[in-house]
Amino acid sequence: MLNYIWGGLIVLSLVFALTSDITDFVQDTYRNGTPLPVTIIFEEEYHADTRRQYVEVQLSGTDLTAHYGDSTMTGNTWPGVLLQTSAGRELRFAEEASLAEPLQTICQETGQEDCRGALQGIPAGTEWQTAITFRSVRWVKMNAIAGAALDFARTAVTLALGLIGGLGLWMGLLKIAEASGMLQALVRFTQPLIRPLFPKVPKDHPALGLIVLNLSANMLGMGNAATPLGIKAMQELQTLNETEDTATDPMVMLLTMNTASVQILPPVTLVAIMGLQINQLFFSILITTGLSLIVGITAVKLLGRLKRYREVTS
Amino acid sequence: MNIVQLFLDYASALVLPAILVGFPLYGMIRKVRVYEVFVDGAKEGFHVAVMIIPYLIAILFAIGMFRASGAMDFLTDLLRPVVGLIGIPAEVIPMGIVRPLTGSGSVGIVLDMISQFGEDSIFVKMAATMFGSTETTFYVIAVYFGAVNIRKTRHAVPAGLIADIFAMIAAVYVVLFLFG
Repeated sequence: MLNYIWGGLIVLSLVFALTSDITDFVQDTYRNGTPLPVTIIFEEEYHADTRRQYVEVQLSGTDLTAHYGDSTMTGNTWPGVLLQTSAGRELRFAEEASLAEPLQTICQETGQEDCRGALQGIPAGTEWQTAITFRSVRWVKMNAIAGAALDFARTAVTLALGLIGGLGLWMGLLKIAEASGMLQALVRFTQPLIRPLFPKVPKDHPALGLIVLNLSANMLGMGNAATPLGIKAMQELQTLNETEDTATDPMVMLLTMNTASVQILPPVTLVAIMGLQINQLFFSILITTGLSLIVGITAVKLLGRLKRYREVTS
Repeated sequence: MNIVQLFLDYASALVLPAILVGFPLYGMIRKVRVYEVFVDGAKEGFHVAVMIIPYLIAILFAIGMFRASGAMDFLTDLLRPVVGLIGIPAEVIPMGIVRPLTGSGSVGIVLDMISQFGEDSIFVKMAATMFGSTETTFYVIAVYFGAVNIRKTRHAVPAGLIADIFAMIAAVYVVLFLFG
């Protein structure tokens, strides 16, 4: 199933990106090559021999609406710079200028760091009525998905490397727990509770203790500790696996209990976002997570009986 | 009364130090060569993290592309009439789609919704409940199964998604029941 979802995500991204770009092309969303009327206001007056002059850029709502066909756009004045080069006059919006769509996209796509366009005509007076032509914008979404793919591939490595410290710490502590007999004691105490969910794990197996630790960390909202504990539990379960690359029943159960999440305390991230509001949500989260956990466990048990999901034994 | 915050403070302030000190201390009492054993175990941390990388790259890049393509907006529009039938407000659909895919994305959605609807809004409560009561399913699969090189995930994905979908729907009704 993961093969289909994974392939589906990639193919769908392409389909949507392409559709969106073709729509932009057909509707000419960005008015490529068409000048947009603009008024440039000089602080004092225009200097023909200065290369950079600070100016105010005024775009009127009526012009924007007529140009982009979007009646929600409103006019405003932004700070900018008038650049004079041998190639002609260019207007650059100040970096802090926040522009409305589709101008925002045009700027992001064409400007390396800044947002600029070519100006027509010759300046006159302190208020110069002219028109600006931005560079052409094409394939916005196609560029976006390619960029995102690279970005997220890098993020994956950053995330994984970020785990090393926590993983090392917990793996070390757990090794001590194992060597000192703590884990085995935990297994003896808790297996009556936990083993019914993992019937295929032999009695007194250390995996049961790690599963208990993983689930407890989850319940206390300690995500950072839960991950190493869960990974260690998976490793123990893998020692019982007869195959190399196929999940066993207990593995699927542990995974689903983690994805469905068992929580008594809300996760730290949510507490950070919601602040005091989190108190009100305590019960709603508890009830929802409890119900979804039951549904998840039931789904694992029932789906595991289907022929296509039968456990592989060598 | 700030019970949850208080409890959380105690839990994080006491549980972790108790483990960090308790494990080695108990080991010493049981005559374990704690330092040697710790280092031996910690060695694995690096190994596991590296093992996970290919799985995470695979999952995250596909999700990243999907998000960047604007497919979410389209799915939201597509699902609007369907989920409307079972009484789920359209405002919380993005959360339902994003939650299993990315954790940071769902944080962004909660923040967006807070600025759009205000902290007290029922939609924010629903979205936050969804966030709090489920996990980033695909990330968890990549990390947990990646660490032991499991590629054939059997019913893990459908079971996880069933639980997720149920949680999304349940969150709406539970919030309506408690606050509606």
